[in-house]
Amino acid sequence: MSERILLGDEAVALGAIDAGISAAYAYPGTPSTEIFETIRRHAASASPPIRGLWSTNEKVALEEGVGVSYAGKRALVSMKHVGLNVAADPFMNVALAGAHGGLVLAVADDPSMHSSQNEQDSRFFADFAQVPCLEPADQQECYAFTREAFDLSEKLQVPVLLRLVTRLAHSRARVTLSPPRAQNEARYVADPSTYTLIPSNAKRAYGRLLDKQAALVDYAERHPANALTLRGETCPGILVSGVAWNYLQEALGPRLEQYNVLRIGVYPLPVQKIRQLLDASTEVWLVEEGYPFIERYVSALGLMREPPIKGKLTGHLPRSGELTPDVLRRSFGLPVGESLQIPGLDDVLVGRPPRLCEACPHDDAYIAIKEAIADMGNDVRVMGDIGCYALGYLKPHQAIHSCLCMGASIGMAIGAAHAGMNPALCVIGDSTFTHSGMAPLLDAARENTNIKVFILDNSIVAMTGGQPTMATDEQVVDLVAGLGVPRERIRVVSPVPQKKAENVRIIRDEIARPGLAVIIARRACVTYAKVIKEHRRERKATPA
Amino acid sequence: MNYDLVICGVGGQGVLSIAWVIDHAAVEAGFQLKQPEVHGMAQRGGAVSAFVRISDAPIASDLIPDAAASMVLSVEPMESLRYVKMLRPDGWIVTDVTPLKNVATYPDTAKLFDVLFSVPRLIAVDAGALAHKAGTVKAHNVVMLGAAASLLPVPAALIEKHLRALFADKGERIVAANIDAFRMGDAAGRFTAALVAGGAPQGVVARVVPRLVFEPRTVPASVTAAWLERLRAPDANVAAARIFASTETLTLDACLTALSG
Repeated sequence: MSERILLGDEAVALGAIDAGISAAYAYPGTPSTEIFETIRRHAASASPPIRGLWSTNEKVALEEGVGVSYAGKRALVSMKHVGLNVAADPFMNVALAGAHGGLVLAVADDPSMHSSQNEQDSRFFADFAQVPCLEPADQQECYAFTREAFDLSEKLQVPVLLRLVTRLAHSRARVTLSPPRAQNEARYVADPSTYTLIPSNAKRAYGRLLDKQAALVDYAERHPANALTLRGETCPGILVSGVAWNYLQEALGPRLEQYNVLRIGVYPLPVQKIRQLLDASTEVWLVEEGYPFIERYVSALGLMREPPIKGKLTGHLPRSGELTPDVLRRSFGLPVGESLQIPGLDDVLVGRPPRLCEACPHDDAYIAIKEAIADMGNDVRVMGDIGCYALGYLKPHQAIHSCLCMGASIGMAIGAAHAGMNPALCVIGDSTFTHSGMAPLLDAARENTNIKVFILDNSIVAMTGGQPTMATDEQVVDLVAGLGVPRERIRVVSPVPQKKAENVRIIRDEIARPGLAVIIARRACVTYAKVIKEHRRERKATPA
Repeated sequence: MNYDLVICGVGGQGVLSIAWVIDHAAVEAGFQLKQPEVHGMAQRGGAVSAFVRISDAPIASDLIPDAAASMVLSVEPMESLRYVKMLRPDGWIVTDVTPLKNVATYPDTAKLFDVLFSVPRLIAVDAGALAHKAGTVKAHNVVMLGAAASLLPVPAALIEKHLRALFADKGERIVAANIDAFRMGDAAGRFTAALVAGGAPQGVVARVVPRLVFEPRTVPASVTAAWLERLRAPDANVAAARIFASTETLTLDACLTALSG
């Protein structure tokens, strides 16, 4: 037994390693990134070494993980919540095929959208796929539940979703580790029909998944993390899950002892225990981080009011944003603390939003784009994408007019061009391009759509902390050409102040010429200059 | 014992590194710990924070409730005011006085300091000047950790141990410079606390201490006593305002002379 100070993310990573994974796959995304980074740090010292290279996107990562499982070994696949949208196709289907070697998806939700475009709740995905979901409440559970998730996955032959939230993923605490377990030997799936989901097989596979449901509910009913404490027939009740339990303890303190309490950490929902809580309580509060997932079930979309349900659907708790101890105190009608008062404070405190770094190549790219379109009227739109360069929406540039999801910039520009937009422009980073920009660019190349695509190639995945990119420099040019963009319409420019006039001229030329053009603004990120050099060395050492 | 601490600053100022050191020192001292922090987009030059919760009993919530924190420890003066809602009425603000103006709307610094220096329990130091003297200009954050150290429930020796661990792979020179930076900050923090405890007006202390160059050791009691006598004088506020406005750094002796002159 050894003890470490770990982020929730790090505890998941070590839990997976100690559970005997043979491989891990991920695409970086806050707040999940540190799971895979931790595995990478330990990859070489595992025996045999764990394979740990970033994947092109979350769909690929999960499919790679499924392949490991197929071969009988254990794999952890990690991603942020919106990454599971990308991986939804393999996720929904591997639920039917099942897991062979243990297969666990660690998915980190971001309530309050600290670093995300929505606060979707991954418990819905687990429910949708009809696979179990473990929801740790603290860092120790992050470690223990990850280990347990692999056992459960192998025992019931299902993939298991581990749901984290930002405040757990990015919070440190003491974690006690237990002795590691050996990796599995390879043991391929014997029956080829299992993973071959042609309709005749898929019908049987779905039957198998449905047959597992009773065992999954039974597992949840018996699980100690789903703990029911009944104090009396005249007490109000609380049904609480995940990290909300921590805030609830902080907010209510000894008052908690006046409530019947059911804690949920393991899904599918333990229906019997919920029934017992409802029967025993005068009213029931639903306290959960994220969407009102449990509440929708328990209250039948708010239709069921006997005994009264109090939660996010009923307006007793805020519908959006993360919970905090103070949010809960207010919801339960308790006073919040009076802080130090400083006269005049509001007059001298302004917001400090994130911004592009000093000497960032994106600055020069946006300056050139803005200048090139300056005399084209105010109606020019630039579709943006996910990454540091999304900050181009803010002052001083205010250069992009959308940011929807990974890779959407190109598809949206195509659609806008079809709707008559001219010029139709879009910007996308090197890593977002390989993640999910290549497929829409293939569309555009096939049709020679009249759009201009700016690929901002800074040689790194910067926003999430400097992970290696899949392709940079000439590799990006070759990819773009390979998709069918004529070489003479691929322009590589260097976004530096002294080349501004030349860059503006090239952009104007390409906008003036009809058809598809790709302008690659190539300059390495200044903040991760050192890391980029390391990545280049690594690439040379391990040629493709 | 429960001790809640907010550490804050701007992305790139080493806020998370200070938290890491306190975490490890606190756990080695036997405490329970919860320490959430901000990663991702905000780290690009935006406001960054880490919360440290230390207790001798299990800690439930990772987040600090409003008005529960005993200290806001900041590497930037305006940022020190951002988390006041979380500060207890008797809490401390410990901050660097060097503004980082990467937003166009940054407030007028004279107004900012007027508000900041009205805080009843405040340690304000010029971390840049002390880091420079220690031989590592990057160590603003380590100076600030030092300035807070005497108020934290964790032994300074354990903090130093984990500071050494943090910088171990950068070589002995960097380690030594950071230890010096930490001790200078500690000297400034202890000196400030002693002056305020001795009855010197807080507004006067807040304006003088940032202009002082500290040695990497505690200021002797005799020197503190001489300072107290001077700072209790009715005209001390005028002299202090003059010294703060000059932005020139002085040794303790030279500054005491200037105050009297």
